[in-house]
Amino acid sequence: MPMTVIEDYLSPPSPSKMENHKRRRRRSSVNSTMSYDSKVPKYVPPWTTPYIIGIGGPSGSGKTSVASKIVSMMNVPWTVLISLDNFYKPLTAEESARAFKSEYDFDEPSAIDLDLAYECIQNLKNGKKTDIPIYSFVNHNRVPGKTIPIYGASVIIMEGIYGLYDKKLLDLMDLRIYVDADLDVCLARRLSRDIVSRGRDLHGCIDQWERFVKLNAVKYVKPTMKNADAIIPSMSENTIAVTLLVDHIKSKLDEKSARHIKELNKLCEISSGHNYLTFESNPKVIEIEKTPQVNAILTMVVDKDTDRDNFVFYLDRLAMILLSRALDDLPTYKQETLTTPSNYEIREALRCNFDQITSVSLIRSGDCFMKSVRKTIPNITIGKLLIQSDSLTGEPQLHGEFLPKDISNFEKILVLQGQVITGTSTLMAIQVLLDYDVKIENMTLVVFLATEIGLKRIINAFGNKVNIVVGKIVMDIDMKNNQMRWASTRFIDSNYFGCT
Amino acid sequence: MSTEPYKNVSLLPQTNQLVGLYSIIRDKDTARPDFIFYSDRIIRLLVEEGLNHLPVQKRDVMTHTGENFPGVDFLGKICGVSIVRAGESMEQGLRDCCRSVRIGKILIQRDEETALPKLFYEKLPEDISDRYVFLLDPMLATGGSAIMATDVLIKRGVKPDRIFFLNLICSKEGIDKYHAAFPDVRIVTGALDKGLNEQKYLVPGLGDFGDRYYCI
Repeated sequence: MPMTVIEDYLSPPSPSKMENHKRRRRRSSVNSTMSYDSKVPKYVPPWTTPYIIGIGGPSGSGKTSVASKIVSMMNVPWTVLISLDNFYKPLTAEESARAFKSEYDFDEPSAIDLDLAYECIQNLKNGKKTDIPIYSFVNHNRVPGKTIPIYGASVIIMEGIYGLYDKKLLDLMDLRIYVDADLDVCLARRLSRDIVSRGRDLHGCIDQWERFVKLNAVKYVKPTMKNADAIIPSMSENTIAVTLLVDHIKSKLDEKSARHIKELNKLCEISSGHNYLTFESNPKVIEIEKTPQVNAILTMVVDKDTDRDNFVFYLDRLAMILLSRALDDLPTYKQETLTTPSNYEIREALRCNFDQITSVSLIRSGDCFMKSVRKTIPNITIGKLLIQSDSLTGEPQLHGEFLPKDISNFEKILVLQGQVITGTSTLMAIQVLLDYDVKIENMTLVVFLATEIGLKRIINAFGNKVNIVVGKIVMDIDMKNNQMRWASTRFIDSNYFGCT
Repeated sequence: MSTEPYKNVSLLPQTNQLVGLYSIIRDKDTARPDFIFYSDRIIRLLVEEGLNHLPVQKRDVMTHTGENFPGVDFLGKICGVSIVRAGESMEQGLRDCCRSVRIGKILIQRDEETALPKLFYEKLPEDISDRYVFLLDPMLATGGSAIMATDVLIKRGVKPDRIFFLNLICSKEGIDKYHAAFPDVRIVTGALDKGLNEQKYLVPGLGDFGDRYYCI
């Protein structure tokens, strides 16, 4: 019996489209009469539309090796390989006893919880966080309290003998592959695997093959071949077949990336028609006042000859100014009577809940705010997100998330990032927080430097609901005139931390 | 953006945050660690506001992408002068913004016999007359000691319009008395209180700042 557990090739990313849909629906139902809504570009984050591949075929036909070949030839991060073996149904005591005597039929479709598999893949397809169960073949039960969490991914490969069996699962897939091999080849592979690698005895293996595996393969598995888009021969060298498939998958992913970039660009175009697009008149966007001090600090920050000591010092100062500005509009509540040490009473004194603030830093550039965050609120909880842009497609990928418990209960969530350039990683960070039920109005994005394009994308993608506090906005026109290209390179965090 | 409710008085913007910070330090139930922390935050804002009044000069710099950036640079030397003891609590806030700033000290106490403020001690930078001076004292109540301290500075050759008097709380009465003596000194403050009681304490005030910051 195959024992492979799920392998996630790189712990993968991402959040939810469901939430997104809900929100959009809610908004459009409320504002359906406003032309505003129809003009708002629909931004579908790339991580919410994974490419799903199903691989089926008889036991021993070589599904796992085909899947691994695809993964390694694809060489895309966020490829997740899920084995249907994880979805075996828990057995009753009686069934379990039979299983130990090799009398339980693990090779029948009903042994696998295909409904749960569907639910998981559906969640992944919606960009939601999903927990894949872990099955213990020792106890014939799911390992309690242990699951493999997976978030949406670029590519999801689901393999198992019944990979192409379930109609609902088939509908979720973008590509269905059947790995074919003659049953005698399958038997030979099974025997060598079970005896050599898994220490079973020959008799038991043959017995199981004859009683269950072969019958099911003929009865249930072979017919699923008709559901396949491609049938891969497993008998011989199949590199050419796999290469063809990989090329196909890559072209589909390229199309998706191109669509993503187009959508990102649309976010800036449509913006120009909206009144909230001049930053000065947009109450949601605060570019800090350019006092002489702030101008002098900014000069130090962009000057390439500023030494590290000074760079760190002045960036910290800028961070304090930005954070303080971001907190100016904290919600207040009234304390009925405040008594001073000299016993004067102040009626209805305004208080702020400084302990109702949390922060989420985007590793690494948001970490430039850490010292100042602690100096602003000493015991603040700090969440972290690691989002990296794919160097080829520019698509953001969530590599890690460490968020405060009950983050949605905080009154103010500071989202900290060094620079907004393309805006894509910020879009993803905000989306992740939305998936944690953080209200968008409670978020304040705090950045040292931002480009006009990046900010417009953020503003438009979320209907101008995110609060933004920024040290300096660099306009498109200045960058095009080659005066401020420095704003399109990431330099703040590398200078601050002293590693490129 | 700060406002100027009276001539040569800069009042920090009365944001929710700032008012919330003041409520913390005014509250008698606030424990000392919180009192210190939140006072320090206000002090930092006062220092930032004070620094904004200092002149800058044009300075073009080169960015790492090889472009010219028309920037500005700090102009002129500054120093801090704290009125011992409460004023010393504001030194760190100044240092946090200006790392190696020179800090002079002045001790003024009430003379037991005359009940008038008396200068006991002063230690000031040699070249103080060339500098912008941040005079530090958290409360401007009657203005007695601040006036005496400012007098010391002016006698050392500091120009009045180069003095910035930073305090956390003041009252109209205190401002008027102080400005009657030194109209050209800019007062930078975060709160305007109603007035003074019979003991000449600010009302509502926050009690004795020095005691709360250092002792109680």
